[in-house]
Amino acid sequence: MNGAVARPVTGFLGGFGRVGRLVVEHAGAMGQLLWSAALATVRMKVSFREVVTQMYVMGIQSLPIVLVTASLAGIVTSQQGGYQFQGNLPLYVLGSLVVQTMVLEMGPVLTAVVLVGRVGARITAELGTMVVSEQIDAYHSCGRDPVAILVAPRVIAGTLAMPLLVAIADVVGILVGMFAAKLTTGLGYEAFLYGARLFWHSWDLLYSLTKAFAFGFAIPLISTHMGLRTGGGAAGVGSQTTAAVMFMTLTILVLDAMMPPLMLQ
Amino acid sequence: MIHYENVHKAFDLPVLSGVTMSVHEGEMFALFGPSGTGKSVLLKSTIGLIRPDRGHVRVAGESVFQGGKDTLERIRRKAGYVFQHSALFDSLNVHDNVLMGLPEDELRGERGVRASRRVWDALELVNLEPTQVLGKLPAELSGGMKKRVGIARAIVGHPQILLWDEPTTGLDPVNTAAVERLIMRLSRELETTSLLVTHDVEGGLEMCDRVAMLDGGLVRFCGSPEEFRESPDPVVQAFVDRAAAEAALDLAGDPSGLA
Ligand SMILES: Nc1ncnc2c1ncn2[C@@H]1O[C@H](COP(=O)(O)OP(=O)(O)O)[C@@H](O)[C@H]1O
Ligand SMILES: [Mg+2]
Repeated sequence: MNGAVARPVTGFLGGFGRVGRLVVEHAGAMGQLLWSAALATVRMKVSFREVVTQMYVMGIQSLPIVLVTASLAGIVTSQQGGYQFQGNLPLYVLGSLVVQTMVLEMGPVLTAVVLVGRVGARITAELGTMVVSEQIDAYHSCGRDPVAILVAPRVIAGTLAMPLLVAIADVVGILVGMFAAKLTTGLGYEAFLYGARLFWHSWDLLYSLTKAFAFGFAIPLISTHMGLRTGGGAAGVGSQTTAAVMFMTLTILVLDAMMPPLMLQ
Repeated sequence: MIHYENVHKAFDLPVLSGVTMSVHEGEMFALFGPSGTGKSVLLKSTIGLIRPDRGHVRVAGESVFQGGKDTLERIRRKAGYVFQHSALFDSLNVHDNVLMGLPEDELRGERGVRASRRVWDALELVNLEPTQVLGKLPAELSGGMKKRVGIARAIVGHPQILLWDEPTTGLDPVNTAAVERLIMRLSRELETTSLLVTHDVEGGLEMCDRVAMLDGGLVRFCGSPEEFRESPDPVVQAFVDRAAAEAALDLAGDPSGLA
């Protein structure tokens, strides 16, 4: 009886142990990768042109999908908030709800999740393919450093592009939410903005951009790390990309959960 | 020139379990063995792409794994590596791919002009028409052309050592013969030491001064091509017979009759 209970329990705890070891191992490897990328950057081994190219791919090319998700988030928040408040609270509170939701949570997190799919998965698959087709070995054989050529530009570009994307997402989400509020509840723009100002702290914007900065750093770092660890041919690229998407999504949600105790006291 | 001493390497299973072998300066050396015996692993350890668990690799008198970064860089400059599947950089055109074969410090300033000239020469050496291929991306090239560009990248820096990982695998008989002629010619003209991993046993025996066979993680045979053909070792015999049968099949199956 005891044994029958004990086995699943130890199995469960053993699972935790394995996950713990895995997390420590990945964190160590990513620390090393980051250190090499930082060294390559201060030694001016990183191509400025490649950083700009990557910013274009991550930033400009992601803009349409980021605009769509931010708009939808604005509409949904505005409508659901309006539905909750009707007859209970003054409607102008909706302005505050939309602004705070977009700036504190939806803008950074939704944009990051979109970029995990659009940018992170692509980076892992790209670098993974380069591993299994021996292109990474070829860089080494030519005396080049793949971290300087592939990793550093992506991490720099992601860290710079993400705050810009999130700022745009915040603004667009709020504006679309404001229009939606007018259409569905008849709340005027003046009243919406009055409500928004009532609870606004300029700290909130910094909070939003700090999140963006952290996510923009984490996505390329994790995706390049996972890509470079690919093994096992084309199937390996597939499974590694899936694993990287899980890893990045979880990291973003965990970072997101760590932010309030760190910054909102 | 290249010494492997008691090289051990295991991934999930042991791959190399004590390989000791030497390639002398200026010679052309062929390495045979069934697929999956670690020929590529051994070749990669020569320029430090894979670190053995145990044992030593020495190239031109220097230890690959004990000399630090500068030594490794020097060894990599001395050696050209031809990868099994060409391993061209997808995002770079042919010119920039071949340019990668030159050290970074030879690309700056006025030396950059000379570098482009050397790319041109390397492409001509591998029988490609530079004007036709320079601007093309790897995806726009045929398998045989990719192989040649990969070879051009390996030779553009005038290496003393050439490491070939199955340069004829996946090529049709016509291209195989052409690439083998190219290997012979380049090794002679550039006066390199060549280590050739190949599944084309007949070709390897014809081209090379000495040959070795890897089996079960060990060097099963090392000697001249004649000794290899007449070896009393049943494993070597079976390998030679199977290779001969495969070669005959290739000939019979080649509709052009050009092989
Ligand atoms: N980077 C690696 N990670 C894990 N296993 C590897 C790696 N490289 C080679 N192997 C394994 O080592 C063995 C020998 O591979 P290889 O040297 O490519 O054989 P071959 O003699 O055909 O060139 C294979 O079983 C292969 O799966
Ligand atoms: Mg191989």
